[in-house]
Amino acid sequence: MTSAAVGQAALPLPLLRSGKVREVYEVDAERLLLVASDRVSAFDVIMAERVPYKGIVLTQMTAWWLGQLDGIIPHHMLASDADAIIATVPALAEHREAIAGRAMLCRRTEVFPVECVVRGYLSGSAWKEYRASGTLAGETLATGLRESDRFDPPRFSPATKAETGHDENIPVSEMHRILGDAVAARLEDASLQVYQRGRDIAASRGIIIADTKFEFGRDPDGTIRLIDEVLTPDSSRFWPADRYAPGGAQPSFDKQPLRDYLDSERRAGRWNGDAPPPPLPESVVAATSERYLDAFQRITGAPLDLSALLTRLQ
Amino acid sequence: MTAHDRYSSPLAERYASKAMLELWSPKTRHGLWRRLWLALAESEQRLGVDIPAEALTQMRAHLDDIDFEAVAVYERRFRHDVMAHIHAFGDCAPAAHKFIHLGATSAFVTDNGDLIQMRRGLQLLRGRVIRVLRVLSAFAREWRAEPTLGYTHLQPAQPTTVGKRATLWMQDLLLDLADLDHRIATLPCRGVKGTTGTQASFLEIFEGDHAKVRELDRLVTEAIGFRESIPVSGQTYSRKLDAHVLGVVSGIAASAAKFSADIRMLQAFGEIEEPFERDQIGSSAMAYKRNPMRSERIASLARFVGTLEANANQTHSVQFFERTLDDSANRRLAIPESFLATDAILSLMENIASGLEVHPARIRRRLMDELPFMATEELIVRAVRGGGNRQEAHERIRQYSIAAARALKDGAEHNDLLDRIAADDAFDVSRDELERAMDPKRYVGRAPEQVDEFLAEVVGPMIGEQMDEPVHEEVRV
Repeated sequence: MTSAAVGQAALPLPLLRSGKVREVYEVDAERLLLVASDRVSAFDVIMAERVPYKGIVLTQMTAWWLGQLDGIIPHHMLASDADAIIATVPALAEHREAIAGRAMLCRRTEVFPVECVVRGYLSGSAWKEYRASGTLAGETLATGLRESDRFDPPRFSPATKAETGHDENIPVSEMHRILGDAVAARLEDASLQVYQRGRDIAASRGIIIADTKFEFGRDPDGTIRLIDEVLTPDSSRFWPADRYAPGGAQPSFDKQPLRDYLDSERRAGRWNGDAPPPPLPESVVAATSERYLDAFQRITGAPLDLSALLTRLQ
Repeated sequence: MTAHDRYSSPLAERYASKAMLELWSPKTRHGLWRRLWLALAESEQRLGVDIPAEALTQMRAHLDDIDFEAVAVYERRFRHDVMAHIHAFGDCAPAAHKFIHLGATSAFVTDNGDLIQMRRGLQLLRGRVIRVLRVLSAFAREWRAEPTLGYTHLQPAQPTTVGKRATLWMQDLLLDLADLDHRIATLPCRGVKGTTGTQASFLEIFEGDHAKVRELDRLVTEAIGFRESIPVSGQTYSRKLDAHVLGVVSGIAASAAKFSADIRMLQAFGEIEEPFERDQIGSSAMAYKRNPMRSERIASLARFVGTLEANANQTHSVQFFERTLDDSANRRLAIPESFLATDAILSLMENIASGLEVHPARIRRRLMDELPFMATEELIVRAVRGGGNRQEAHERIRQYSIAAARALKDGAEHNDLLDRIAADDAFDVSRDELERAMDPKRYVGRAPEQVDEFLAEVVGPMIGEQMDEPVHEEVRV
């Protein structure tokens, strides 16, 4: 059958990658167009249903965070407004609806092959490793930590980019070996600073960003830039702060309605936890969409202005 | 409300669950058609077909508000159900009217829709199978070590345990579960293939761009929640897929039927009985009767489902060239009814398995009538160890056994085989020793341990650990 690698897709640009929820197109040698779809995955399975506005939330939230970085590190964004993108890439003029709000025009960089994960709380694969061996990426942690306990200060915890499946946590020393000391130190420092700024802003608005994943690249001038999604619900764990209770797994701010439904289907035996997932009721899709929009409003302090994003400027 | 002046299916009126009836309802079927038309139009637009955004917006707003009366008017006019639905959809999405179904053939909605319904139906049955397995797990655990007479050739044989026998029923369902998972994971959709499956109309729409036609197939496949569309098709997907699906479904029905046959016999023996309501009447004439009617209903429905699997294979085998329409009326009955009947079967099976009345005293009495015969193998070994002749011992026991069995059949109170053997010096065993040999637990081998191992090693991983408590569901009897 046709594969996702086929370059023919919605936009008249070469498709470089089609991920679980995003497509990356080549604009020219210097620029890329990242388009976030409304696809949603849970328990590593992509749902058939689309979550309205999710792609727009991810892109606009990233754009907002990139505007908060002053002084920490340069980023790759050139434009996230459809009209600004079309002005510089006229080939997209006929595809305004497909990119409105959800596309980001970016500088092309050479991507460093390490995921820069920052953990503010002990969760996910880190908790599994700690529970099994008392370590994180091989480094021994204090004993007696509970699941979802807060790290102060946050911990930098790089991972390799696995082609398939899950990334593998690696020691910082391994990252230094891969990237060289200077670059590795720069990425660690920038990751921790951006995360801490994000953690503080989000916390003041009722969201715990428990951990997150950054990517970095080097542009042709040699400048190291923060790339990809930044501090979104898809690249991070968002928890509702008012329900934080260490000692167990925390509910997800954005995906909990979806997870609850899938859990109930699994417990009822109607789903075996593997693809294809059961069809989602309209109410679950709508609730998930609302969670994403709510996350945007809380983080940025203002509701997502959909009409402005979707309407052509006169 | 039940209509009393016309035929209606007992599957709908009496047997099947709400969820399964909703799945096969016109509302679901035609709601899926609208979603398929939307997925097609969205994908065509993404690939450059000039469909205005407003058309898609209107389609999205009218996926479920189907005016079935308007459809009926159109259908009387066109004598074509798909065209009737296209027009009714177009009436509430006027900006989309001229784009709905663009390039497609009826099978685009009917076949893809049927496959979506069948896959969901398999998922619903999966949930029911799991529930039955959960109930039987508890039963097997409770009775893991209770000795009971085994039967081969429907004749008494070496004892097993009540729980071990339940694992045989469970294993059949686990095999069905593996088949279910395989079919759910691999069932393809038809995708976007055109009138005779050549995609010619779509090649026309995309002005000879083969890659865009393939991409359209992929986009629609993904949008409707499938990993793959069928690689090649005629006008319809190969009806072999229906036969595969109904094969899994009828396999479940057969497993339930085997269970029901065992329960019916156990009830005839008075050992284990299916649940019986306080006010339930067994027979209009014989007031004392308590009939295993739920199990009999399983047997009855399962035989029906079994014939539908054969039916599906026949339908597949007589499709001429790219398709003939003699599949249509048959599939409309065979596919939903297979699912509805099997849904009912599993609901009955869960009900029976969760309310089985076990009568240990009766089980023990019937076992003890036969156990002396079971002990004889050991006695032959003992006789030889004491210097006796194996063939001679065997012959004596054969004769005593025949006599004891005849006495039992002619009205003896209990099996006197042991008395006969104790009186024979050739065997040199006391009556006490013989009594000790009559402990049924000595004859069940590893049955209790097998139950434990099976539940822990096989059933647990398949049905998961954190399952909901079974919800008690009323069965209409």
